[in-house]
Amino acid sequence: MAVSVPYLFEEMLREEWRMHSRRFGGRRFALFPAFLTLIAAGTAAFFAVAGASERSLLAGLHIVTALVGLQVGSIGFVGREALKDLLGDTTLLIYSARTLPVEERRLLFIFVLKDVVYYAGLFIAPLVVGAVPLVVLGDLAVSALPRLLATAWLAFGYGVGLSLLLVGLATRTRLATAALVVSLLAGGVLRPDLAAAVTPYGLFADPSLARVVASVAVPVAVGAVGFALFEFDRRTPARSVADQYRSLHDRLGTLDEYGLLAKSLLDVARSAGGLWKLLFSQGIVFGVVAVLLGYLPSVVPVRPSPGLTLAAVLSLGAFTTYNWLCQYEDAAFFGTYPVELGSVFRAKLIGYLLLAVPTGLFYLALGAAVFGLGSLAVGVAVYLPVSLYVFGVTAYIAGLQPTELLFDTPVFAAFTAATMLVLLPLVVLAIAYPLAPTLVAGLAVGIALLAGAGGYGLYRRAGQRWTARARSGTLD
Amino acid sequence: MTESAIEAEGLSKRYGEVTALDSLDLSVPPGELYGFLGPNGAGKSTTINVLTGQLVPDSGTARVAGVDPVAEPVCARERVGILPENGRPPSYLTVREYFDFVAEARELDSIADRVERWADRLAFTSKLDTLCTDLSQGERQKVLITQAFLHEPAIVFIDEPLTNLDPIIQERAKRFFRTYAEDGNTVFLSTHFIATAGDLCTRVGVVNRGRLLDEFDPRELGEETLLDRFFATVDADSVAVDPATPGEKEVTEPTAEE
Repeated sequence: MAVSVPYLFEEMLREEWRMHSRRFGGRRFALFPAFLTLIAAGTAAFFAVAGASERSLLAGLHIVTALVGLQVGSIGFVGREALKDLLGDTTLLIYSARTLPVEERRLLFIFVLKDVVYYAGLFIAPLVVGAVPLVVLGDLAVSALPRLLATAWLAFGYGVGLSLLLVGLATRTRLATAALVVSLLAGGVLRPDLAAAVTPYGLFADPSLARVVASVAVPVAVGAVGFALFEFDRRTPARSVADQYRSLHDRLGTLDEYGLLAKSLLDVARSAGGLWKLLFSQGIVFGVVAVLLGYLPSVVPVRPSPGLTLAAVLSLGAFTTYNWLCQYEDAAFFGTYPVELGSVFRAKLIGYLLLAVPTGLFYLALGAAVFGLGSLAVGVAVYLPVSLYVFGVTAYIAGLQPTELLFDTPVFAAFTAATMLVLLPLVVLAIAYPLAPTLVAGLAVGIALLAGAGGYGLYRRAGQRWTARARSGTLD
Repeated sequence: MTESAIEAEGLSKRYGEVTALDSLDLSVPPGELYGFLGPNGAGKSTTINVLTGQLVPDSGTARVAGVDPVAEPVCARERVGILPENGRPPSYLTVREYFDFVAEARELDSIADRVERWADRLAFTSKLDTLCTDLSQGERQKVLITQAFLHEPAIVFIDEPLTNLDPIIQERAKRFFRTYAEDGNTVFLSTHFIATAGDLCTRVGVVNRGRLLDEFDPRELGEETLLDRFFATVDADSVAVDPATPGEKEVTEPTAEE
């Protein structure tokens, strides 16, 4: 008799919870949704007090939930090696088809369904609860909250469905996938009214039966097509590449102590997405900030300094660069060799500067091209030290496992508090910049330099801190 | 008197409520192929991690290759080779590049000839330019064995070295371990495989619940087999803890232990 869908679904849900709670702080992980609610509520309250348009904020919430859906939908399809890079040596029920009589596509369907339910509860519901300040400080009716939750879930489902379609199509033809992405983006830009009409945000703003049908039927239909199209890759890869390690190590010279830096750089360059992923992830950050900078004056009566705003947000975004530099090994890996973890952190810092600085400068220059050269210099002067601060904070708090930052609530809270300590004053200064450019620029650079010095200090202590933890046996 | 290659006295280590090492004493002279036997969770991997400076014990002292691994962990690791259980070579380097990385980390000058010899010995020459992430488990094990011996250390700690290897390569590896020890080096072999230990080792230590219970030369057992001696030792220890279930006690410890 075949294993039933409800049974597998329940077991996978349990497995997901245990994997997260075991990896990210045990029972503390249960606090994560509460923390997410707190951040969402703080953001909503900030914009409500600033007089932002409620309509825009709720549209933004639907966009965020759809983006989470896009991310979640693609997780079920990434390869086992990619999951291993992310989670360590993990064997999940989704791989049972290798040893048990369970069909692969059926397992994948249940896996994605489980992800939808799990993340709808863990991420989406807390984000919607975080919109409550809009009821207290704005004009959102209490009676609209259940509808908001339903449409946010539907927007999340939209993202998942779209992601399934794109990934499924990509296993057949990459060209058609690229064409579909371009068409969807063009449609969104050229006919936003039409896009809003067939999406859950349209349903929230102006409910009708046709919109209910569209919001439910579209994600289900595109998701089903994605499933049908998906082709499992059963080949055993055996990629050979030319020897680059030695020459890269030689070119890096004294920067590359013990060959650790060349290894880290090759890890990033050869893993999925190559070096383009750095440009892509910071490109998303740049895009969001650029849209906000263009759009903000119509929502609130301020026009922050583009250079300063971009520098502050891009330096926070550089966190992802550190994440990639650390994703392919852990402290235990280095325990086999005669190297100090301090040397490992040094290699990560140099790698981080080599990768994150040019990327950040590229987008600051792009920002100057779009918004004018006015605050480019102050942006550059702030970006470099604040990036160093973000590195120091991350290395000190999360060590060589920065993924933990995302889900271990106390670690995430410490990281958020430490970064906000510097980023909030910089954002406030960015808003105040037009009033007294020279004074504000001086203050911003002063804060950034202090932060940079603090970040360097934290980096210097990271090696000692994480060596002590590794040698005490308290690291996984 | 010759100084021991590996010396430990009163090593203790706890993980919360679990005792991993309980006043463990150990002395291994140079040139020994020492088998460290015990059930799951007995403390074998914890012992290796302490002796190679990867873990700090709660109490006790150790000396490996003339160095205190607790006080000078990096210096200790310079002098020894380590094959970790469940280790993985770095995903996005090729096998050849990984050995170059090991050479840099260990500050070795020229390793090309040694790599060729090892690739020939363990039959992975055709995989030298393959990304480590694309190797089979057996191929990864061959690569990890090679890195442990690449700098030709006087002491090597090998944890389950024959896992996933085919019988021909197992035999070649065993022959090499034996010759390596005969040349005056110390090989510290941690394993669950009693037959492997009996086949290879010049001395065997049986560990259970973090204590060294018995130590002997397996070649001098006479009529008694190594398996019988092992069971008798572990069962007697289990009876001492829980008289109701001799030899059936489930031993569980956290993953950090293994």
